[in-house]
Amino acid sequence: MSPAAAQIAPLPDQSGPGSPRPPLELNDVSVMIGGQGGDGTLTVSDLLGRYFRKKGLYVYTSRNVLSRIRGGHADASVRASQDPIAAVKSQVDVLVAFDNEAVEMGKAELAPHGFIIYDSTTFHIAEPHSAGFPFATMVGGSLGQPIFKNTAAYGALSVLFGLDPAQTRGVIEERFKRRGGEALDKNLKALEIGRKAALAMPGVENRFSIASGDAHNMILTTGNQAVALGFVVGGGRFFAGYPITPATEILEYLQRYLPPLGGVVRQAEDELASINMVIGASYAGARVMTSTSGPGLALMSEGISHAGIAEIPVVIADCQRVGPSTGQPTRHEQSDLSHLANLGHGEYPRFILAPADPVDCFDLTVDALNLAERWRLPVILLLDQALSQNTATSPRFDLSKVRIDRGKRLTPEAVAKLAHYKVYEFASDGVSAYAPPGTPGIWAEVTGNEHDEWGHVSVNSTNRYRMMKKRMEKMVHARAELPPCRFYGPPTAKVGLIGFGSTSGPILEAQRLLEHRGTPTRYLQARTVFPVPVHEIDPFLKEVEVAYIIEHNYTGQFARLLREAMPWHHAKLRSILKYDGLTFRAPQIVAEVKGVS
Amino acid sequence: MVQSAKPAQPIWCPGCGDFGVLATIKRAAAGLSIPTHDFVLVGGIGCSGSIHNFMDVNGIHAVHGRLLAQAVGVKLANPSLTVVAAGGDGDGYAIGMGHFIHAFKKNVSILYIVMNNETYGLTKGQASPTSEIGFEGNVEPPFMSILTALSIPAPNFIARTFSGDPKGMLAVLTEALKFNREGRGFAFVEDLSPCVTYNDTYKLWREKVLDVSTLAGYDPTDRKAMFRLCLETTESGRIPVGVMHRPKVAGRDGLEVKLVGDGPGPVRTDIGLETNLPAYHKLLAGLS
Repeated sequence: MSPAAAQIAPLPDQSGPGSPRPPLELNDVSVMIGGQGGDGTLTVSDLLGRYFRKKGLYVYTSRNVLSRIRGGHADASVRASQDPIAAVKSQVDVLVAFDNEAVEMGKAELAPHGFIIYDSTTFHIAEPHSAGFPFATMVGGSLGQPIFKNTAAYGALSVLFGLDPAQTRGVIEERFKRRGGEALDKNLKALEIGRKAALAMPGVENRFSIASGDAHNMILTTGNQAVALGFVVGGGRFFAGYPITPATEILEYLQRYLPPLGGVVRQAEDELASINMVIGASYAGARVMTSTSGPGLALMSEGISHAGIAEIPVVIADCQRVGPSTGQPTRHEQSDLSHLANLGHGEYPRFILAPADPVDCFDLTVDALNLAERWRLPVILLLDQALSQNTATSPRFDLSKVRIDRGKRLTPEAVAKLAHYKVYEFASDGVSAYAPPGTPGIWAEVTGNEHDEWGHVSVNSTNRYRMMKKRMEKMVHARAELPPCRFYGPPTAKVGLIGFGSTSGPILEAQRLLEHRGTPTRYLQARTVFPVPVHEIDPFLKEVEVAYIIEHNYTGQFARLLREAMPWHHAKLRSILKYDGLTFRAPQIVAEVKGVS
Repeated sequence: MVQSAKPAQPIWCPGCGDFGVLATIKRAAAGLSIPTHDFVLVGGIGCSGSIHNFMDVNGIHAVHGRLLAQAVGVKLANPSLTVVAAGGDGDGYAIGMGHFIHAFKKNVSILYIVMNNETYGLTKGQASPTSEIGFEGNVEPPFMSILTALSIPAPNFIARTFSGDPKGMLAVLTEALKFNREGRGFAFVEDLSPCVTYNDTYKLWREKVLDVSTLAGYDPTDRKAMFRLCLETTESGRIPVGVMHRPKVAGRDGLEVKLVGDGPGPVRTDIGLETNLPAYHKLLAGLS
């Protein structure tokens, strides 16, 4: 008997010896795969995710990687559920460990019924409910390369979950068909090696069974991919960016998507250049965007301020991470909000939109492009690491809702009929019509200096006063056009929850748990976080007795904005905060919410 | 005729070298019959950067040091425009140095004119990156823009002019604009533009400028030869002026040519939903 096998203990309160133990059915399963960077943990997560999706389950995957290319501990999680989910599960049902660190880090989150499958090539553990297989040695011996150990682990998992052998193979074929030949062949062999070993190990086969779901014809995507696609269909044709985690994928997707459509994507020398390149392109008349994270945003604040006074439409996607400075580049936080609400030197109007899920990312990116041109100002798309990079089962993006609104953009024909063209002409809504350079008969004179209606530098104080009002009051005039909040839960509930961004996932899950606990809640998901949608949040707060603002930062940044905008609700507002770099697990929110009698 | 922004009166001191640049850009543009509505002047921050206010063309007044990034954005978005970025030595060689170096690498077909007066004039005479040692307490050796430009292996047009020689400047700016309009890439012209108030160098520079084309071994297609010629001229106490680099092959070499080819570029591409619907459906169908 191998030392590993000896460690398998029977599940407590299960059938006694001699009778087959029935599998524990899971309709919400979480598997964490940990190891050294390069161990292929992401592949295991990907393969399992593919299988679960074929069963019609909603899948949510997340990664915990270090900011380095190879090595160091890394783990990947895949969760699958019959219900729509967009959060990491609070407990891990199965832990797959390629190193001891994975066990040490993962076992705290392991459910009481949880099980550990580990690669016993280099270490052994004394945990109950675990099975060790020398995956690396097993595949190294017969396939010549230990790197296929991850696929062998997937094979063992398929036995543990009682997965259909043909479909298990099908997933491998689907994943590796493009590489074909030897890669496919060796992965299929590794799968069988893992399956055989697991079948021979007592207590592993059919330990769990996985429910089926009805999530079919859906896609698995990330917020970053959704933003890139939203930019394309929203008519975005110029993008400049500088690589930064967790925003880089937007640049990478657009490098693929835009050129065939006549668009231009440039990787700039820094964020100062990327924001100014998009400013130049927008001035020239293109629909533009750049994307970044905290440190890059700090550099861009100079240029965004310029766009504010020069009234140049720009969209900036800020994928927040743990800050300040380099902070934890691969970890999750929502701590740029205060910075963004006050971003830059001097005062200028801006809108900050916060999508919660991939569909929201797609829709709000289109909205951001329209709003930026309609109101001629900077619009910030506020994402966060989990939204940017975690994958979620999502409905397909809907093109039928997309519309392109270029605001008061003037065609050359319209310009030809004008008596005069003032680039900063006063208007009741604060928005001047715009004709880009290249329009016969006129010149676009645009400047970061205070200017008169013609675009000439002006130190006239009356003009300054009027121009400030013209620009700043856009935030008032635009209010009805900004993306509305979403409300979940019974309107009669006396406990309010408020959140934005990917925190919506755990909040919605917490709402279901609270309902079970007998605490009905009403959740307000803010999609425009600045200017604060007082016209929506004030009535909401009037209806509830207490409201919890749930966000990922230390100081309660959104709560502060709400208090500033609606001081009369001060006493009702409570904060639930998390700033350890990890996303909320639903029970953590539940534990903080007190009922009202 | 639609009434649009009219040029303002220059804010420069009488005799400022920047007047020469303004007059010469106008003459060069007129000589090439560039429609004013297709001409974009991107100004930096500093005395010289206000130049766009004084011409009847499209103008954008950029953030300090960032005019090249904005100008590159304009040109890549609409390659049919003629784009000139113009600013001072502090703007380009201090706060804007990162963008300066990368502009050669990017090789977008814009003209960048640096009006070098070796001082920060608008803030009243501090030392700039090109100031001589000793000027206003400066202890750092002056930055050599032409040598830096020549050190970057890209097919750019590189030249230096002197505001005291409008005829020479006109020939250079005309060639540079033609170079851009043929889509051949980035053109950099440093103009020696004295600040009559804080660093009046007219007389000194008139004595020191040396037309490199008159020197033995002058070959602006030979980067190595020109680097040596410029370095030796500088070390001998003279200031080399003239065309320092002119790429050998007269092909279309600019980045915008590589990016959009014969396409119209982002601004003039139809972004309408209906036009693009088949492409969008295909893109979204690729998701699974």
